[in-house]
Amino acid sequence: MEFLLNEDQLALAETIRDYLAGTHGPDVLRRLDAGDNRDPVIWQGLVDMGLTGLLVPEEFGGLGLGLVDATLIARECGRACLAEPLVDTAFVVVPWLLAQGETEQMAAIVAGTAKPSVAHAINPWVSDGEGAALDSIDPLRNLTRQANAASSDPLLLDLGALMSAAQLVGLAEAMLDQSAAYAKIRTQFGQPIGAFQAVKHQLATAAVAIEFAKPVVWRAAQALTDGLSSASVHISHAKVAATDAAIQMAETAIQVHGAMGYTYEVDLHFWMKRSWALAGAWGSRAFHLKRIDDAVIGGGLAIGPAHTFA
Amino acid sequence: MDLVYTPEQQDFRAEVRAWMDAHVPREPLVTLECREGFDQHVIWERTLASGNWGMVTWPEAYGGRGLDLIQWLIFEEEYFRAGGPNRANQNGIFLLGPTIMEFGTPEQKARFLTPMAKGETMWAQAWSEPGAGSDMAAIGSKAVRDGDHYVISGQKTWSSRAAFADWGFGIFRTEEGSKRHKGLSFILFDLNSPGITRRPIRQLHGDTGFAELFFDEVRVPVENRIAGEGEGWKVAMATAGFERGLMLRSPGRFQATAKRLVDLYRKHEAKASPAAREAVMTAWMQAQAYAYNTYTVAAKIMAGGSIGAEASLNKIFWSELDRAMHRTAMQLLGAAAELRRFDDGRMNQWLEGYIFSLSGPIYAGSNEIQRNITAERLLDLPRVGAG
Repeated sequence: MEFLLNEDQLALAETIRDYLAGTHGPDVLRRLDAGDNRDPVIWQGLVDMGLTGLLVPEEFGGLGLGLVDATLIARECGRACLAEPLVDTAFVVVPWLLAQGETEQMAAIVAGTAKPSVAHAINPWVSDGEGAALDSIDPLRNLTRQANAASSDPLLLDLGALMSAAQLVGLAEAMLDQSAAYAKIRTQFGQPIGAFQAVKHQLATAAVAIEFAKPVVWRAAQALTDGLSSASVHISHAKVAATDAAIQMAETAIQVHGAMGYTYEVDLHFWMKRSWALAGAWGSRAFHLKRIDDAVIGGGLAIGPAHTFA
Repeated sequence: MDLVYTPEQQDFRAEVRAWMDAHVPREPLVTLECREGFDQHVIWERTLASGNWGMVTWPEAYGGRGLDLIQWLIFEEEYFRAGGPNRANQNGIFLLGPTIMEFGTPEQKARFLTPMAKGETMWAQAWSEPGAGSDMAAIGSKAVRDGDHYVISGQKTWSSRAAFADWGFGIFRTEEGSKRHKGLSFILFDLNSPGITRRPIRQLHGDTGFAELFFDEVRVPVENRIAGEGEGWKVAMATAGFERGLMLRSPGRFQATAKRLVDLYRKHEAKASPAAREAVMTAWMQAQAYAYNTYTVAAKIMAGGSIGAEASLNKIFWSELDRAMHRTAMQLLGAAAELRRFDDGRMNQWLEGYIFSLSGPIYAGSNEIQRNITAERLLDLPRVGAG
């Protein structure tokens, strides 16, 4: 049994992290927010990195990688608060189409010319769709009411929830970094506020929640890859754990930033708002808890010390 | 990553399961915080040793099985699945054992590890003093060199297992006038040595698990010192790292508690609140998350990595999870929660467990200390005060 992400996976994620840090920093978010939210140059950059084809089989020009790899990249998209619809298109719709044997659009998706988005009955609006615009609190989300018939396929929902969870982990990690950095430079009473235990302990508590959400997300991705019958329970677990960690982190982050965190000027709000948006997308907390409830209290899932992975 | 056990790992699990099913006592033992219960738990340690299951991660040369950490996790899962008792020699197995293996001389290893593996000597820890709790570097108990002996004077407190154990370990000031982390040495002592007075401390539940230790010119041979004179802090920090790192609380323990909590919920469902239902699901989720994380950390260590300040995240997580699970159980039990024994005569293990869980966020470095470590070493926030 191998529990660690392999070196290729980690190296790819690091490459994407560095790329987004260099090309998609807070200044870019502000520029997009002041303009029209999307930038073909940024999208082309993602295409050139091969990310639109990450999950597309090699025979259609993609990289043919797996869902665990995709969650690692989705986490980096969260960390960078990426505005472009990469995750929805390439990590949610692509594997859903492939599971149905639909390969027609693959070449165009890899090339970046097709960006399909599919609504699910549980959230009949999607980011970057064709329908009427909706007004999301997330200024970069481009939420639309989808005109085409919403699917109710559970696999689509599972993919959306899993990739949301992965993004929420990255969002939370970014907010932790921003808050720790701010706590080191903001001084009051003659010292950095990060020297006060009241501030330290809040950040440490949020760090614990993030640390223990991460392996749940990777485990869920592996369960879906392996086609385990319990995969949807693990995905719900991942969504709840990552959402709770991100919301707790967002509240801690604004508290640590004080009144500055309440302004539009400080970067934090982009990450906080994306977290709010993804928290309820692809199944609310109540929806996912219900699936866990049915399995754990309902008795459909074997639980206990000998059932960590089976 | 692939989360599938190898055939060898599955065979190993089956082997542990068969042995545990045949040997774990059917009735829970009396709490090990009293003489009768401690003696029962010592017998269990010897039963484990008879099957060579006492110290599974130790090298075979010292009475272990030389298992890797993944096998250890499988062993622990099966141990708790079978309802195995608490380990009376916890301090020896997981704290002192690894310390001696890392820092001890060959003679010390032969002298102390083998009897420990056989369940012949039970160990107590002696870290804290009345003035040195969270601030352990404030230790004042002295060990003054006199020829080939140290003469120990001072006081230790909150010494786990010291009421009934055979031997103790702790750090003492061996350099006259030294301050804080300097001038301390890590010394092992026979708890029955002349000059040691043990005063059992009656704990919250009324029993006496830990004790105060008074040292009145206790003579201890120099060869009982682990590592060099003055290196005690370094050794103690390594020991504390084992404690709150991986091995003090394996996930199987919490997964077993979460499973029992689900069973308890089903029994009391008609009268349970929606909040309790969510707390039960949270228990399962967090126990699983802790297990996934532990497997990951174990694999990292096996791949040559080490566990540093991340150990603090672990300690915060499991200790607060354990308290929350038992709190939920107390809520579900309602009026019966206060009973030490239920009407049918069974011990109320939830009450006992709840009381014990309250110590988790305090021992092995309080969770406030762990949050400081997290903030300062993982988030790089400024250090304040003595470190």
